[in-house]
Amino acid sequence: MIHFENVGMRYGMGSEVLKDISFNLKPGSLHFLTGPSGAGKTSLLKLMYLAHRPSRGKITMFREDMAGAARKDLPKFRRKIGVVFQDFRLLDHLTAVENVALPLWIAGGKGAVIEEHVEELLTWVGLKGRMKARPPTLSGGEKQRVAIARAVIKRPDLLLADEPTGNVDPAIAKRIMHLFVELNKLGTTTVIATHDMGLVEEVKADRLHLSDGILQLIKAGQSLPETTSFDPAEFETTSLDQNEYGPLGYDGEDDQ
Amino acid sequence: MTKAIHFLPDEETHEATRLLPYVMAVMVYLSALALMGSMMLNKGFGDMTESLSNRLTIQITTADAEARNAQVDEVTALLRKTPGIDYVRKLNEVEIEKLLEPWLGKGNVTDDLPVPAILDVTVSRGLTLNLDAVRGMLAQVSDNIHLDDHQQWLGRFLRLMDMVEYTALGILLLVVLATVCIVIFGTKAGMAENREIIAVMHHLGAQDSMIARAYQSRFMKYGLKGGIIGLVLAFITLVSLIYLSRDLAEGLVRIPELPVVEIAVLLVIPFLAALISMLTARITVLRGLGRMV
Repeated sequence: MIHFENVGMRYGMGSEVLKDISFNLKPGSLHFLTGPSGAGKTSLLKLMYLAHRPSRGKITMFREDMAGAARKDLPKFRRKIGVVFQDFRLLDHLTAVENVALPLWIAGGKGAVIEEHVEELLTWVGLKGRMKARPPTLSGGEKQRVAIARAVIKRPDLLLADEPTGNVDPAIAKRIMHLFVELNKLGTTTVIATHDMGLVEEVKADRLHLSDGILQLIKAGQSLPETTSFDPAEFETTSLDQNEYGPLGYDGEDDQ
Repeated sequence: MTKAIHFLPDEETHEATRLLPYVMAVMVYLSALALMGSMMLNKGFGDMTESLSNRLTIQITTADAEARNAQVDEVTALLRKTPGIDYVRKLNEVEIEKLLEPWLGKGNVTDDLPVPAILDVTVSRGLTLNLDAVRGMLAQVSDNIHLDDHQQWLGRFLRLMDMVEYTALGILLLVVLATVCIVIFGTKAGMAENREIIAVMHHLGAQDSMIARAYQSRFMKYGLKGGIIGLVLAFITLVSLIYLSRDLAEGLVRIPELPVVEIAVLLVIPFLAALISMLTARITVLRGLGRMV
């Protein structure tokens, strides 16, 4: 699904924020992306959601070379990716329903079908009574749930979430994780950047750990290794076989 | 939920582009006035040259009234026999006084003022009269007989007509250029204002053309609104100017008529403004987006 090979990234003429990043995420896998603030987690996610080009190295996603992909081809790949931004990036003049409906509308979905799916999902994330509310009137947690709903509404092939549970209470955080895990079970490759180690421990997924722009793989249940040496041959990831969560209200199906 | 989601905020909240229709209105106002003025003068000049194109004026300046009248009769008889001349008429005193009135004032043409006799000659259309032969014939009657075929005056008039038309065209081109620049500036300001929204739309998989459509449709509306306002104001201005100048310039200058059919063509201006605005916005947005990742 995602293959990075010796990828480096810098902003403008600055120093590299990501150095020699190499990994391979199998389709349907779930990973946490951890690391201290400023380690490059958001930059790595930017490369994965095609908002930035690497300064060197090779990125293969959806079996296509992304580093050299033509600009006009990027939208079709972006439509396969759902992103939960750390700062939500909701459109303030649109209602919660319209914000969540945007990916379906962009993909050419029809009004009635869109409305049905969006309302179902917003109800599931606990925003039934806030569907017509606009982001400036929503709390941080509500905005986050709208942002998550927007990212998952199209049941993307790849879901990238930047601190998706940062602004919600533990109960909602657990519910959101249910949704991510359930989507992952349905085949969505998932990468969740988080500082919440409790969540990481609970889900028992492999971890991509970034520190000073260098990436390490930590298998589920293991702690951070003392060495930073990296063997790409071992850096293969697998899907979650089991998880403790039951089925969710959202069935992930749509008509797109 | 509406069928289409308007992902750009309402234009009323856009400080950068809110006033754009009114700027467009000014541009359309100026270009419409330039075009209308040019059309009116063209029509007026055309009428004048048309009325003079088959006319000759003969002045007989002999001082002695009896001799002058005899020359008038002789010249009239000669001209009436000349092939290619349809009509010869001597202007009466009232007509001559009226011609002199703008310069001398009413009632100031006195008997002791040496006023020449004037013959108005109409030449057959489609025939080329040998003016040298006519001049020669008149010279045989008297050296005080002068033939004016108005060519010198018409030549100046035609040059003036050309100059007025080129000036109007120049003004129009400048106004179109200024309009394009204003739309480019407005579009860029609008894009800068909505930078975050455009980025989100890109992340969600929107094609550049989808974003461009939103802008071009918005700027088309600006162009149409500005175009209608500008054209209405230009019509009001023109009609007012004609009304006022009729009172002021009576007798001195003939105010051209409003060429209704030609002026009606100007109704396409708002649509042209909308088209220019729409295309400029589309090209600007696509070029701007092309520079993004």
